[in-house]
Amino acid sequence: MSDHETGGIPSDEDLSLPKATVTKMISELLPNEVTCAKETRDLIIECCVEFIHLISSEANEICEQESKKTIAPEHIISALKRLGFESFTDEVESVLKDHKQQQKDRERKVNKMEQCGLSEAELLAQQEALFAKSREKFLTTQQ
Amino acid sequence: MKNKNKATKFPVARIKRIMQKDEEVGKVAQATPVVISKALELFLAMIVKEASNVTVERGSKRVEAYHLKHAIETVDMLDFLKEIVEAVPDPSAGGTIDIEAEAAERKKRGKGKDKKGSSDANGGEKPAPKRRRRKAADKEKEEDEKEEEQEMEVEEGREEEEDEAENGGRSRPDDDDDDWEG
Repeated sequence: MSDHETGGIPSDEDLSLPKATVTKMISELLPNEVTCAKETRDLIIECCVEFIHLISSEANEICEQESKKTIAPEHIISALKRLGFESFTDEVESVLKDHKQQQKDRERKVNKMEQCGLSEAELLAQQEALFAKSREKFLTTQQ
Repeated sequence: MKNKNKATKFPVARIKRIMQKDEEVGKVAQATPVVISKALELFLAMIVKEASNVTVERGSKRVEAYHLKHAIETVDMLDFLKEIVEAVPDPSAGGTIDIEAEAAERKKRGKGKDKKGSSDANGGEKPAPKRRRRKAADKEKEEDEKEEEQEMEVEEGREEEEDEAENGGRSRPDDDDDDWEG
């Protein structure tokens, strides 16, 4: 998982969500005149972490019931439904669809590179040629 | 509605680690924390909305802890969060404090820096406790009395941190030693 984490990695016990990120999200959600107390923000972070545990635990059970070893996104969606968060499932399913599509596109890109039969050097040369061509075109249209 | 900055997202790797803190949780598919991140966004939006509704209802401009608590107690879906806000005092009712919950909470959080708010509210609950404030020298005796002082444990712990500030303010006559004999 490539994920740039600023501010160091918390030890196991202090595992929580980044304060700055949550603070920003909260202020984006609140109406203009309303602010959030620090204490409240910290409590909200705890609630979020608890939510993760709740969903994960339920999803884990569902996963086991299906005799699977890896918790899949579909298990999360079922867990949300079971715990009364059906209102979330539409958007969540949409995110899942996008993610799968992105994965497919990534794979397609890699395959395209492998299948075109040209080596990296040859591809680079082709790219340079295209650049030169467009540069020329640009210069002539300038005059 | 405010324009939400689409770039602000929860850290996916962090979510995975939080999930795996639970020993029951084994392998997690790569897409799973991504999906949880979305669910979390929606959850955050919901909880902030509910809390801010209470804030506005009460004519306040700042979302306080007890607004959040009220929202959690009102919405069924948020039942699982009741323990987290149990220790938050509700000013209108005079505030009942569940000492055990508070003690458990503090252990979980470690040293809480922004606790001053709630501790001050609690301070008004009981009359200034007659307690000896001894430092290292009498630590042993203090520990023996830990059981009797179980009730006060929470306040004492917290006050040790705020020692410098509070000590001057409160009158704590050492003559009260007699009360604690035996």
